[in-house]
Amino acid sequence: MNTERTQVEELVYDTCMLLDAKDFKGYLDHCDAQYEYKLSAYSPEIKREMTWLDHNRAEMEELFHTLPKHNTDPSPLTRSAVVYKVSFDKAAKRANVVSGVHIFKTAIDGGVTQLFAIGKYFDTVALDGDQPRLLARHVKLDTRDLGWGHHIPF
Amino acid sequence: MSRTSAQWTQKPKLPPSHYADPLIYSDPDIFEEEKEKIFRKVWHLAIHESEVAKLYDYRTYQHPGGTQLVIVRGEDMKVRTFYNICPHRGNLLVYEPSGNAKKLVCIFHQWAFSGTGECVDIPRGEAGYQQRLCKEDLSLKEVRTEVGYGGFVWVNLDDNCCSLKEHIGPALDYMMPELEAEPMETLWYYQAHLHTNFKLIHDTNSEFYHDYLHYYNRVTGMLDPNSGYFQRKYEAFPNGHASVGSMMVKYDAYKGSGRSELGWPKLPPKGWKLVDLFPCITFNLRTSVLRIDSYIPLSPNHVILEFRILGLKSDTPAQRHQREKDAAVIWSPFGRNLHEDLLASSGQGIAMARGSESMHVLQAREEDLTIHDEVGMRHYLAEWSRRMGRSSSNPLAVPLARARAA
Repeated sequence: MNTERTQVEELVYDTCMLLDAKDFKGYLDHCDAQYEYKLSAYSPEIKREMTWLDHNRAEMEELFHTLPKHNTDPSPLTRSAVVYKVSFDKAAKRANVVSGVHIFKTAIDGGVTQLFAIGKYFDTVALDGDQPRLLARHVKLDTRDLGWGHHIPF
Repeated sequence: MSRTSAQWTQKPKLPPSHYADPLIYSDPDIFEEEKEKIFRKVWHLAIHESEVAKLYDYRTYQHPGGTQLVIVRGEDMKVRTFYNICPHRGNLLVYEPSGNAKKLVCIFHQWAFSGTGECVDIPRGEAGYQQRLCKEDLSLKEVRTEVGYGGFVWVNLDDNCCSLKEHIGPALDYMMPELEAEPMETLWYYQAHLHTNFKLIHDTNSEFYHDYLHYYNRVTGMLDPNSGYFQRKYEAFPNGHASVGSMMVKYDAYKGSGRSELGWPKLPPKGWKLVDLFPCITFNLRTSVLRIDSYIPLSPNHVILEFRILGLKSDTPAQRHQREKDAAVIWSPFGRNLHEDLLASSGQGIAMARGSESMHVLQAREEDLTIHDEVGMRHYLAEWSRRMGRSSSNPLAVPLARARAA
């Protein structure tokens, strides 16, 4: 496997591990200054895409910053991603990445693990620096019923 | 000093209207009675008309009384509701939650029905039934349906029920300017399965004392003496409905709220109006969106919550984008407030589960009907008691109707 693809894959997996560990600074260190994050789900009931999170980098920082002030389900999440496809745009020094993602929740009391949500990451990665950086992530969820929900983005 | 078992379960020294017996939140027999005496008798908000906007559009609805329904815009553009069941062998007539079809055709034996509920085709009908049964005998079961109060589609399983207008009464009057300002459209529809009792969710929508749960509401309202937060007043209406007066929400106090100045036609800037309708509907209008909660109780400790976010049909793409962004801050599955509300209601469901020896639930705050008064819950349970013929504070005593008769 070529080095560039390995670096892109590791970026995707790193972002999962950092969010799992609630290392939000570490996560944002992998994101470009122009980072855009979006999370959406398609509703077959109303035949419409619903955008549940839509933040630039500053808004993501604020979201993470205010988390301690809120009451949040303390059960840890585990994001399990598999990189399906990496398309390189050599001229633009970018890569478009599609990954499948499963999000598991492990109950803080008792430790039972349940599948919480499934979906895909559609990432745009910048390749013009020493390390690849996330320019944009669009999480498209297949799961729409998230029970009591969660405060931390997938 | 902590309490003994006897002290823990004894009734509070308060009027019976000011506390509820935990059995009403967990007893399976009471739940079955609620289905018969309440859910199958009252008007429920099923969908918004924008979900069946075009000729032959249909939308399914799982009625809280336990009956599957399908809502159809028929040939005459009228919206009708039918039992979602084929009168032949009892198969679901429509499987997908929404769609468009000139005829509703059962996949099982291809029986077909029009948008007015008439049976229009039975394959090899005469060969099998000769003259013993004809299509006219085999139409769909129609359900009372009315469209109103902002274009919502309301249904009632009881053929002999009162009109929707009689049921709602004046409860939505103070929100009608906003509901009728412009045609609306459903932007979000999603469900949440929760293991708790439906009344506990409605309780949370019926009292604002729980703003201590929400950092967002504290900084944008409760902590600002100029917001009018503590002057908001409850108003109780016949049939168990209640509303809460508006205030000036100080959105800027929550950094990162991302809220725009878009607003909602006729709603005062930064205003917030809320109406709770018996037994499980809430109209909640703030920022630039209308949120509608409705519930489908499945058992005493299991409920499907339905959430809708509505914007305006006339929205530009930029306005639509901003409305979604405004809604997302507190009301999406990742929203600051919704997650907190649902955590608390679920925690009640766990702690008050059947056999847990829960204490009586207090609804005793009296503050001149202002925002931390618990009159909303008391008013709701008064209607619940009337319809059930049981006291919510002593549900296993001789039912009220029998006591009155005696």
